[in-house]
Amino acid sequence: MVIGLSIIGYSFTVSLQDFIAELDSLAADAQGAFDDAEDTTALEAARVEFLGAKAGRLKAAQKGMGSVDKPDKPTAGQKFNAVKKTIEAAFDTATARLNNSGGSQKHDAFDVTLPGKPVQLGRLHPITQTINRMKEIMGRLGFTAVEGPEIEDDWHNFEALNIPLSHPARDPLDNFYLATAGAQGNIGAGPDGKPLLLRSQTSTVQIRVMEQATANTVAGGAKPPVRIVSLGRVYRPDTADATHYPMFHQIEGLLVDHGVTMADLKSVLRMFCQSYYGDIEDLHVRFRPSFFPFTEPSVEVDINWRGGWMEIGGAGMVDPNVLRAVGYDPEEVTGFAFGMGVERIAMRQHHITDIRDLYTNDVRFLAQF
Amino acid sequence: MIISKDWLSDYVDLAMPLDELTERLTLTGLNLEGVENVGDDTAIDLEVTSNRPDCLGHIGVAREVSVLWERELKKPDPQPKETGPTASSEISVDITCPELCPRYTARVIKGVKIGPSPAWLQKRLESLGCAVINNVVDITNYVLFECGQPLHAFDLAKLQGGKIIVREAIEGEDFTAIDHKTYKLSPGTCVIADAERAVALGGVMGGADTEVSDDTIDLLIEAADFDPLSIRTTARAHHLHSPSSYRFERGVDPEGLDWASRRCCDLILELAGGTLYEGVVEAGSKTEPTGDIKLRFPQILRLLGIEVPDAEVRKILTNLGCTETHCCDHCVKVIPPTWRADLTREADLLEEVARIHGYEKIPEDVGVRMAPSHRTRQDVVLERIRHVLTASGFDEALTLSTVEPEWVEAHRPWTTEAPLVTSTPVLRRANALRQSVVPSLLGCRKTNVAMSNPVIEQFEIARVYLPRAGQLPDERLVLAIASGRELLELKGVVEALVDETIGDARDLTTKAQRPGDSHGTLLEPGRTAWFLLEDAQLGYGGELSEAGLDMFDLRGPVTVAEIDLGPLVESAELIHRAEPLVNFPPMSRDLNVVFDDSVRWADVEPIVTVEGGELLENITFQEVYRDTERLGKGKKSLLWSITLRSPKGTLTSEQADAVRDRIVAKLSKQLGGELRA
Repeated sequence: MVIGLSIIGYSFTVSLQDFIAELDSLAADAQGAFDDAEDTTALEAARVEFLGAKAGRLKAAQKGMGSVDKPDKPTAGQKFNAVKKTIEAAFDTATARLNNSGGSQKHDAFDVTLPGKPVQLGRLHPITQTINRMKEIMGRLGFTAVEGPEIEDDWHNFEALNIPLSHPARDPLDNFYLATAGAQGNIGAGPDGKPLLLRSQTSTVQIRVMEQATANTVAGGAKPPVRIVSLGRVYRPDTADATHYPMFHQIEGLLVDHGVTMADLKSVLRMFCQSYYGDIEDLHVRFRPSFFPFTEPSVEVDINWRGGWMEIGGAGMVDPNVLRAVGYDPEEVTGFAFGMGVERIAMRQHHITDIRDLYTNDVRFLAQF
Repeated sequence: MIISKDWLSDYVDLAMPLDELTERLTLTGLNLEGVENVGDDTAIDLEVTSNRPDCLGHIGVAREVSVLWERELKKPDPQPKETGPTASSEISVDITCPELCPRYTARVIKGVKIGPSPAWLQKRLESLGCAVINNVVDITNYVLFECGQPLHAFDLAKLQGGKIIVREAIEGEDFTAIDHKTYKLSPGTCVIADAERAVALGGVMGGADTEVSDDTIDLLIEAADFDPLSIRTTARAHHLHSPSSYRFERGVDPEGLDWASRRCCDLILELAGGTLYEGVVEAGSKTEPTGDIKLRFPQILRLLGIEVPDAEVRKILTNLGCTETHCCDHCVKVIPPTWRADLTREADLLEEVARIHGYEKIPEDVGVRMAPSHRTRQDVVLERIRHVLTASGFDEALTLSTVEPEWVEAHRPWTTEAPLVTSTPVLRRANALRQSVVPSLLGCRKTNVAMSNPVIEQFEIARVYLPRAGQLPDERLVLAIASGRELLELKGVVEALVDETIGDARDLTTKAQRPGDSHGTLLEPGRTAWFLLEDAQLGYGGELSEAGLDMFDLRGPVTVAEIDLGPLVESAELIHRAEPLVNFPPMSRDLNVVFDDSVRWADVEPIVTVEGGELLENITFQEVYRDTERLGKGKKSLLWSITLRSPKGTLTSEQADAVRDRIVAKLSKQLGGELRA
């Protein structure tokens, strides 16, 4: 069957092949003639020879199409049109060539060394970029990023975080409390009637997440593990200078589960830092004892940096009082928490020397990141 | 806390190199702040966390060294000879405010000779940067820096009525301190008074009238304990911060009072002479002995992730001054020393074991369990929004959450409630929690204009704080933009954001009327668009009014927009789905229709949509054209094009014309529109 068909095909397409061959040679001849034309007169003569409306060779070839077998006519027609376009394009090119060299140029001289037209691109703020990287890395380590309110009540900012009424961290000089006002005196106060305040740390979010987690637990059921990073603005009354600003950003991590240890804390922080400072080989984490109300033990965290140690934040094991305050049993689960200042890390990485530059938003500053 | 190395070596052997000493102290809780050579002594500045007031004296630091290097702690045992009559015959002590001063002790020394301190004492105080006054005052300071217990010496002859009354200050009471400034006191402050007047601000500062001077002969030596909170409040209220208040704020060793008093008297007898009267005159109660604390050995592995041998655990606790009351295979029970009020729970003992055993022994390479995490809907949507904005040429700004009250008053698009304010301004005059981010961006624009920056296109994603009585405020996440572009360009950005999040900008409607719960003068009323998404307010875009431009020293035109991101986050299509494409060619028609000027695009577009029917793929608005001569007064022409396409086949010109004619006919009938030739 296959062989038979091919023989049949051969026997019927002889004249089509001849027709195509004729067109190809016509196209080659025309190209040659147009290319060779040295002036407009010669080009016009070539045009008449090939593209002449009455006696041009292309016209003649078109007439030859009539002798092609009927089934091949569409193919022949397509070929003819293609060749016609090629020849016309060759003529146009030749015309353009002669026009340009003849002094009456169609286009002005084009200077390819001129600068391109600028594209106006915006940039993300360096703090956003830093936060995005941190979230991305912590996400890979299995920590989901969460946010919470910036204006907090006494319970979430202090009480649940094991900061009792007598604790210096509550001092009005160390916090931005809201002024209470309003007809009922309850604008600026929380549900408990105590003044609200701008949160002084993002640990407040950890309390909210753990409260939510334990509230969702069915009676008698196991309390779910928590594995989050909370991020956002925090506020402390510092006089603004090159290294202080009354508002800054924190990232805090929290892992509460069965069998979480300080070795896990150290290892997670090391992995985070290895990912963040990818260019430091042989990165190590060092703990120094510290004191935070919401963790016990509490440590400052250093990593090795340019031959010395660099402090990157605070950390510790979640204080049993905090676990109890949000409904977890410290005999059942343990947890670690850590916190880092985003500005400090961003500034060091981007060589920013004045924290106030971050909040001045000079477009020349922002364009650098 | 500055430590003199020479002084420290009185209490513990310091054979180790200085670097080793400071490194080890740093790693166990006393962070090195700096080292300075003072003469042939070395001043070591150590950071002491607020839970460790026991290390606010040389003996406390020496104890840490003795535990770490397992060396003996050599603490003096002062036993000054009491050769005078009974002290209680000279003075009485009464506490009327036990909540402010739980305990007060006084000793009496008569016949001292005031003069300069000996060189060794002066040198030590100078190493610490402490001013040298006279032998008695220097000794009280010396003992303070030795053991952390502040002391005060009164000129006994100047105390009226042979009485010490520890009481709460009376409202408006005047007190002249040793700095010779007069302070107005208020209740809550603890004063030490004699029969007549206040002679000291308890635990904070002594009084000018009774201070030890060159003429002083008889002394009353005070060693007392004050309530930390009231000391802090008093010191802050009067800006009187002293080494004494610093220690009382953190708490002193209640059992250390007597030692300090004896030590002080002993040194006075030795260096200033005199006769110590017999006994201590005291008031107040001794603190209840604390019970024991249990540390279960398995908790160490459970929390720290490493094993510490039981024997080492016990040794660490005992060396730190704990008294062991019980020990078995499972746990150890100890009574913490009185100078370690921070040790009250198992977790506290565990921390002691951890830091002395050494945090460096905790591994940094354990296999932490894997867990899935997800990006929140908000994070996914915000990333898209930021992407659209940066791709459209806007830089992201971050500005302070509070602004000056005038900025809130000038522009309140989201609420009419008065703003929340902080008790103290967050920065300069910025005490109002902002209710719009737009003024903050205009503030940035002003700064940039002042720097002659040519292109200032900025956005910020932040919260506004809308008050709710008795609750946390509504912290609404908004996007604000401030731009030099035309209003319709800005509106195009908003439409792109809606498109990119909820998928179809056609859900966005625009009104010219300002909603009821907004006011302000920042925007030009006729040139502000209020955006709605399914009848809910989404935001606005507008040009600044003259007043708005003036407020920020700007020259127009400046356009701004602000969008509530809540609805976009909530309704965003996180996963896009593919629709089959129609591959028949489209057909376009331009429409140029003349209307009365009062006809708005919002009137025209729905008619075009309805009449375009199923074939209508797209409407592209092109321009508004006004020409009184050609179109007539009060007329305008709207020019737009429509794209038509059918899933059933290639449309013919006749079909496309029919759609166009249908649209024109309806526009003519309903809005009086006329096709322009």
